[in-house]
Amino acid sequence: MSNELNDRLRAALRPVDPGESFTQGVLARIAGEPPGLRVSAHRAVRMLELRWLSGALLAVAAAGFLVAHQWQARQHAQQGQEARRQVMEALRVTSEKLDLAYQVVKDKEHSGA
Amino acid sequence: MLTRALAGEAAAFGMLVRTHQRSVYSLALRMLSDRHEAEDLAQEVFLGLHRNLPSVESPAHLTFWLRKVTLNRAIDRLRREPRQTVSLEDAGALVIDGTEQRDPLLQRRLRALLAQLTPAARAVMLLRYQEDLNPNEIARTLNMSINTVKSHLKRSLATLRERIGSGADMGAGKTELGCLSDEAG
Repeated sequence: MSNELNDRLRAALRPVDPGESFTQGVLARIAGEPPGLRVSAHRAVRMLELRWLSGALLAVAAAGFLVAHQWQARQHAQQGQEARRQVMEALRVTSEKLDLAYQVVKDKEHSGA
Repeated sequence: MLTRALAGEAAAFGMLVRTHQRSVYSLALRMLSDRHEAEDLAQEVFLGLHRNLPSVESPAHLTFWLRKVTLNRAIDRLRREPRQTVSLEDAGALVIDGTEQRDPLLQRRLRALLAQLTPAARAVMLLRYQEDLNPNEIARTLNMSINTVKSHLKRSLATLRERIGSGADMGAGKTELGCLSDEAG
């Protein structure tokens, strides 16, 4: 039932066209506006250029961020490798020293006996 | 068309006006109930569009912008210069296209009753029944909460049903109005 009222409202509120004279009136008023208020082709092109430029800058900034991030990650990996190598070297030297000490103690024991 | 108008092509802007003038003019007319004022307001809206064209991002944004600006300006005018409500006898003055196929009297009365609603409620009803927007879209256009929109719709429809029902003997066919008064119950 309420659909009927909806349909009648839609019919009652059908949009109406003001006619071609309206369009001409709008265009005439635009033509009569001071030049500063008009959208010149130059200004429109500049706006488009600015949009492109800001998009390009954003892309460059994003690419820079990615490169910096990757470089930093690589640096961390290299530092990790170096630290690992140094630890291994330290362990190797310590092991050699311990072997040497063990050998000396063993030799002394044999000569004492 | 929008891109060409943005580049300053007057013919393209003219096409934009032709495409949207029905909607803008009709919203203004049904808000203000005066042809001359409606035409003036609609022209101002298109002048504003011409100045703000670089900020319009897409055809959908353009339609949204036009509806929003038209209704806001109409509501502002009504606040500055409150009108007398339109009587049912004057409702004939609101018929402007002469293309009504059926129930012309009922349609006149509906428009007259709509003109008696508050400006905000009228704007909601126009977006719903003239522009066919859903409550979410209406809320975004008028910057209202969805609950406010639903409340306006509910109250306005109840008012229309009640008034049409009570005026069943005031000129329109009794059969037609009988159907609508049944809805109120």
